Amino acid sequence: MNIDRRRFVGATAGMAATTGMAADWFWPKYSVSYQKPRSLVAILNATEYSEKVEALLIDGLRLFRLNVAGRRVLLKPNLVEDLPGPVNTNANIIGTAARCFLRLGAARVVIGEGPGHQRDTELVVQAANLKPHLEDRQIQFVDLNRDELVRVKLKANYSGLGGLWLPRTILDSDFVVSMPKIKTHHWAGVTLSLKNMFGIVPAMKYGWPKNLLHWHGIHESILDICATVPIHFVIADGITAMEGNGPLQGTARDLGKIVLADDPVAADATCARLMGFDPLRVQHLSDAGRFLGNLKTERITMLGERPEPITRPFSVLPEFHYLVAPAH
Amino acid sequence: MTTTALSLCYLNGITDFASAREKAFHWLVEERGREAHWFWRWKFKTADRNVRFDPDKYGWPWISGSASWVIPTAFGVIALKQFTVCNRSEPSEKRIRLGVDMLLDRACAGGGWNSGNSIVYGVPLPAHVEATAIALLSLQDEERTSMIGASLAWLKQKSAAIESVESLAWCILCLFVYQEPVDHLKARLATLIGDGREIRNNATLATAILALKCGEMIHPFVVLR
Repeated sequence: MNIDRRRFVGATAGMAATTGMAADWFWPKYSVSYQKPRSLVAILNATEYSEKVEALLIDGLRLFRLNVAGRRVLLKPNLVEDLPGPVNTNANIIGTAARCFLRLGAARVVIGEGPGHQRDTELVVQAANLKPHLEDRQIQFVDLNRDELVRVKLKANYSGLGGLWLPRTILDSDFVVSMPKIKTHHWAGVTLSLKNMFGIVPAMKYGWPKNLLHWHGIHESILDICATVPIHFVIADGITAMEGNGPLQGTARDLGKIVLADDPVAADATCARLMGFDPLRVQHLSDAGRFLGNLKTERITMLGERPEPITRPFSVLPEFHYLVAPAH
Repeated sequence: MTTTALSLCYLNGITDFASAREKAFHWLVEERGREAHWFWRWKFKTADRNVRFDPDKYGWPWISGSASWVIPTAFGVIALKQFTVCNRSEPSEKRIRLGVDMLLDRACAGGGWNSGNSIVYGVPLPAHVEATAIALLSLQDEERTSMIGASLAWLKQKSAAIESVESLAWCILCLFVYQEPVDHLKARLATLIGDGREIRNNATLATAILALKCGEMIHPFVVLR
């Protein structure tokens, strides 16, 4: 049989892909699965960060019938830098969420964050205007960059890191709520509830930024971290989101939404769709759909209203044009 | 890496533990950011130009296996400069010069330093107070270029309004070395600290105490070369 170079290369690539898929099937890179038969998502409409958000959020949370009574709730917002613009999760949303979980019976609420660039966490907390919300003695802030650390074996092996030192506060929590700001990201495409968990990795051990994770692959590290510290609930701040050169230098985009979900993959997939992106094209989200939650719309139950199709997708850097869903 | 550099800074101030100091010194001379490897230097020069920097000028990483960043590089430079006050050698001078050149290369356009790079995707990044203060400490004995002058001016201007303990403490430690007045900043820091009970981490508390003691003891980051 004659075989030319093109056929040979094609056949080799095909065999490699098949072998890769078979290897993933027989030897998956994860040892846990948080997928459930169906996930719940609610999209709340809110045009501004006003006092009305508290009523909206408590009504939204009640749709999920969450059982947080007596539990230690950890809110993980996205507080990155003391910069103007929609860089950080809005402090009103964070404070409101904390009070809502106390109203739902949580034993305690801790707001925990370990900023990735700015070493002075107090500066970020001040700039985000979070301090007034910490006056309630039942709401505590913990700098995850400087918490007591515990060495933990990772429950997935995409990055090859094997283990990480993680903050005691995170590991002692019963109910982890990821509270991202909906933003584009110049390395990862998007930064949503899964990427937000980079902030639990202690910079005191890994540095500002947590550059070791970048060298081991951003998408891969996200998967390993989220397999090891499961996210129980998501409150994504998309009232004013960020597009373009996010997560720091992008431009504000009025999306007017807060996304709630009991599954981080369903939450991020929904947020990506709201941004006009195809979630399957976000590498970590596509892989997360295998074991961290539900990606497909067939397995997501929308509580309340269905999202209207977005008129204009979020702008992205040229490297990420492929994220935009075909309909656009 | 910063643990080694800071330990050497501390041990430089006492006469004991010569063997430990030697080991720390040699480790620091050998340690470098991952981009120092020829392959990554080549990649950052040719294929990956989203972050503007000169990969030939490398410093120290926060943790082995990652790239050079401003703060660990500044601490590395201070530790080596202090250690080699009386025993300069070609390898140590070369390593110090590489670190200094990296810091000068990464400075922000209007003065000061961000955590690592000054321009990403064509957009200039803003300076950070702590990174600027620590970088300036490491450059205290270098020629006062316009860039160092602009960074010092930026830090002085920022220090006037800082309400955060850690950043204010680093401002004091830096400005004192550059012989700028710091008494008003020390008074504000003392007020912010109060009885210290609210400060939950030891690194911040220790930095604040060092800042309040500026002028009453040997400055821990002074370079006398």
